Amino acid sequence: MIVTRTWLNTFIDMRKVSDDKLYKTLNAIGLEVDSIKTYTIPPKVVVGELISCEKHPNADKLNICQIDIGGEIKQIVCGASNVVHAKYLAVATIGAKLGDDFEIKHAELRGVKSEGMVCSASELGLPALGDGILILDETIGKLKLGEELNNYKKLADTVIEIELTANRGDCLSIYGIARDLSAALQLSFKAVEYESQNLEKIGLARVAELKTPLPIKGSLKYVMADIEHICKSLIISIRLAFIGEQTVTILEDVTKYVTHTTGVILRAYKTRNFLLKEEDKISITASTKDAITTIKANGQDFSILGVSQNEDAKADDKTVKVLFEASYINPDILVNAVAEQSLKTDKLYYNTSRGSEPCLDIGITYLISLLERHSGCNFFDGSLSVEEEIEDYIITVKDTEVSGIIGKKIETIEMVKILSSLGFAIQSSSEDLFAVTVPPFRHDILNIQDITEEIVRIIGIDNIESKALRFTEKQRINETTIRYHARKALRIRATANGFDESISYAFSDKTLLQKYRFSLVKEELDIINPITEDFNTLRSTILVNLLIASKRNVSYSQKAIALFEMGTVFDTKRQEKEMFSLIFSGQKEGENISNAGKPQLINFETFTKKLSAIIGNFQLRSCTQHNALLHPYQSADIIIDNKVCGFMSKLHPTVASEFDLADTFIAEISFDALIPSHINATAISNFQGVYKDLSLVIDKNIPYHQIATSIERLELKLLKKYFPVDIYEDASLENKKSLTVRLFIQSLTGTLEDKDSETITSTIIETLQEQYGATLR
Amino acid sequence: MKHLEDKITQATTLELLEKVRIELFGKKGAIASEFAKLKDVPGPEKKAFAEGLNKNKTKLQKFYDEKYEILKKEEIEKILQSEAIDVSLYGNLESKGALHPVMATMDKIIDYFVALNFAIEDGPKIEDDFHNFEALNLPKNHPARDMQDTFFCGDGAVLRTHTSPVQIRTMLKQKPPIRMIAPGAVFRKDYDITHTPMFHQVEGLVVDDKGEVSFANLKSIMSDFLHYMFGEVEIRFRPSFFPFTEPSAEVDISCIFCEAKGCRICSHTGWLEVLGCGIVDSNVFEAVEYKNMSGYAFGLGVERFAMLLHKIPDLRMLFEGDRRLLEQFR
Repeated sequence: MIVTRTWLNTFIDMRKVSDDKLYKTLNAIGLEVDSIKTYTIPPKVVVGELISCEKHPNADKLNICQIDIGGEIKQIVCGASNVVHAKYLAVATIGAKLGDDFEIKHAELRGVKSEGMVCSASELGLPALGDGILILDETIGKLKLGEELNNYKKLADTVIEIELTANRGDCLSIYGIARDLSAALQLSFKAVEYESQNLEKIGLARVAELKTPLPIKGSLKYVMADIEHICKSLIISIRLAFIGEQTVTILEDVTKYVTHTTGVILRAYKTRNFLLKEEDKISITASTKDAITTIKANGQDFSILGVSQNEDAKADDKTVKVLFEASYINPDILVNAVAEQSLKTDKLYYNTSRGSEPCLDIGITYLISLLERHSGCNFFDGSLSVEEEIEDYIITVKDTEVSGIIGKKIETIEMVKILSSLGFAIQSSSEDLFAVTVPPFRHDILNIQDITEEIVRIIGIDNIESKALRFTEKQRINETTIRYHARKALRIRATANGFDESISYAFSDKTLLQKYRFSLVKEELDIINPITEDFNTLRSTILVNLLIASKRNVSYSQKAIALFEMGTVFDTKRQEKEMFSLIFSGQKEGENISNAGKPQLINFETFTKKLSAIIGNFQLRSCTQHNALLHPYQSADIIIDNKVCGFMSKLHPTVASEFDLADTFIAEISFDALIPSHINATAISNFQGVYKDLSLVIDKNIPYHQIATSIERLELKLLKKYFPVDIYEDASLENKKSLTVRLFIQSLTGTLEDKDSETITSTIIETLQEQYGATLR
Repeated sequence: MKHLEDKITQATTLELLEKVRIELFGKKGAIASEFAKLKDVPGPEKKAFAEGLNKNKTKLQKFYDEKYEILKKEEIEKILQSEAIDVSLYGNLESKGALHPVMATMDKIIDYFVALNFAIEDGPKIEDDFHNFEALNLPKNHPARDMQDTFFCGDGAVLRTHTSPVQIRTMLKQKPPIRMIAPGAVFRKDYDITHTPMFHQVEGLVVDDKGEVSFANLKSIMSDFLHYMFGEVEIRFRPSFFPFTEPSAEVDISCIFCEAKGCRICSHTGWLEVLGCGIVDSNVFEAVEYKNMSGYAFGLGVERFAMLLHKIPDLRMLFEGDRRLLEQFR
């Protein structure tokens, strides 16, 4: 919503309100100022009157103009074709500076002297107003020859763009904003008044009628005018330019201008040729069905109230008899009906749907005054109207409740004063209760909190002192809080191990997920309006996003890329799961003095060590995942507390080359498995333990975890821990390998005897021999 | 005596000194041979002779000890010198990663509210119309729904457009008094220089009995919070509109880029809009069947906070895992 200072002045006296005060007040009352701009016309640009205009003898397109600039006639050569229609114009006299390096000087154009320049709007720094020079008229004020144009404040205006919130349809007009400002600035509000000077008028009722067989939703008012000629006026052109509206026809400009000024929705219709064959009477009927009011005239579609107008019925500048329609309908009823019936709406619907001005007389009066004053128009006497009977909406207000919501005592008298100035009618019923009748233009005010907001706006939030909340202490560490802290600790450990935290959109490209054999959210559950094809599905893995990020980093010449992300993924049933995903690509460390600038590439061992430093203890088993990112021989399930909770792998070399990556490792683990569980301490032995190494020769294909499982099942009490320390293969071993497992044997109750450890080792050897044919080396 | 002392003095290494020690103090050393002479000393002089010897021995021992300390020190110094390295070569070995500035900012925001005993709450990213809109006083066809371009799923579910549905879930699940924040990712169908289809919000809600929670309370905590985040800035509250709060306000801080003089970032207004807040609308309480309650709520965009705090120029860069940006926060 755009307003200008002088436009506001139509309704309130702005003379004592500085621009700064205006800016601050608008913001303070909830009308957020997006931008504020004051147009300044350079000095020495003055009002001139064209005395004569003749063709330049040596140039077809130039005119030699004699222009009176207040007691002085200047000869100025002008190239604009529309100068011939001008009476008053903007003249940049000698010495005027129209730009940083554009000063008007004495000139000679093809042999003819020129003492100045006739300017267009854009040359003066104003918004462009079509082709040609700016033609002045007295709608911007009484024109005085020689007067500097910058003194005409309707041209050199201050333009303010307001970001209007969705509830304030009442402020979609100059009138509405002026009404709010008058309350905030305590300025009296000027009513729109006009008495027609034309005496010979025909009564409208003689040529037209409005019939509503049943009560309708909404209000309508019609007036009709004979239009002899319709003039373009500067004030309307420049103000429509200020608000960024394109001009169409003069008539449409006028109705648009009246709507922007008063908030009343106006539409203009043809009558002759369209409705009237000869001199019949126009018969308008309106009826409502499912909250939508349809209007017909003489059987022809005319309009849908508040929604649209029949294009064929639209009046233009050639229309001689124009029927003007002002309308209002409660937006709360209208928007649902329009959406349900999928009606096509026109531009004005934006205003209707947010709440246009219900007092139709303001718009009609303003329209008549404009057209009768500045154009050759004669309106018929009277109007046709129908008004929806709407019961007053009354809210009972308890002053202590308002003060309670605000947190500051507001005196009843002050509340009453504020509400009255905003157009609310007040009836006092008892000392601390009063009834507030909501004006029809504030359909957004429904309860005491809305009333409180009005009071807060006008007294100003700055005038409410901050007060700390007193509250009852309560233990508030819940599951989510615990998860948050676990997540944060994990993230910090990841950074301590060289990974940068990344975030990516929770979307993915369906074809990529398919290509790499990840699951997809079921078609019927997936997004139906994705933003781009790259993000056309809910992701089922974070890894693809991390691969894309890594590829991008490679393109920025990064040689070591380590990223992690904590985020949501979705399974086929669209169940959400939080995953912790990591990628490590390229050099395992930076190029530096310790590796002579030639670091090795990341390998399984280094990646696993890093992972362990981040997530703690886990076991690795042959991978049971099936996605296509996996390296078939360097991938593993990650097992925590005997449960598979994720996987790690070298990135398949084919995929690596698709993403331009060097050796790369990936891991994706369910965050649920990484939340630390409660730990109870076990007894510590004070007796010395012994380490024993068992070197076993076993089949090449037997993975370590099978050996470990067999040992685990023996449940040997004295065997405190065991772990692989060496693996050896050579030709002499043929299909076998030598695996060395280190055992740690310790008793909780006494010193170990040789036979204790011998029993353990022999039990293990026997078992492994039986199960896997293991022999000692 | 003098010649014995000279021997000690002449030793230049611990090794040589050890030889001198054996020569002097060993079983067959000079001192021992002096004491051997004792048996030849006549009785009455024996005592004086022995005393003299002991005195000399003590003196010599002390002389030796001193020399030993000096040589020991020299020896260690030599070892130390041999181990000298140019430490300045080893700075910046780049072994640490960085938290993402958006996530780190979210942590900083969460720290504040957790310290004030707010609980952290969470909810699903895929929401239904009731929790995301209806219960928040955003009925169907409400013009305010236009403010939030929504991603829809085939079954009518939506990707949550704000963290506000967590308010509804928490109120339905728990009983007042409530003090909670809901941090997390939200989604809007908008993609340009200043909008990404996913971003992060932190939502806050406080609910207590009617009359307990006021706008003045909200103003107090929001001012304090913004000072905690941005330091000494001016704070401005502007009345605004959100369907789920009433009265509502938008909160601005004085521009931290131009010290409120007006610049491109603050659109020459001197102010930066940072959050929205308000008193919980009675329609929201009605939707969760709360009676006679009062409350305040607030919501903010974490990316905006991070960009302002760290002067990050480009929003979209935050979602690209770009190490050139991330490594700056190590």
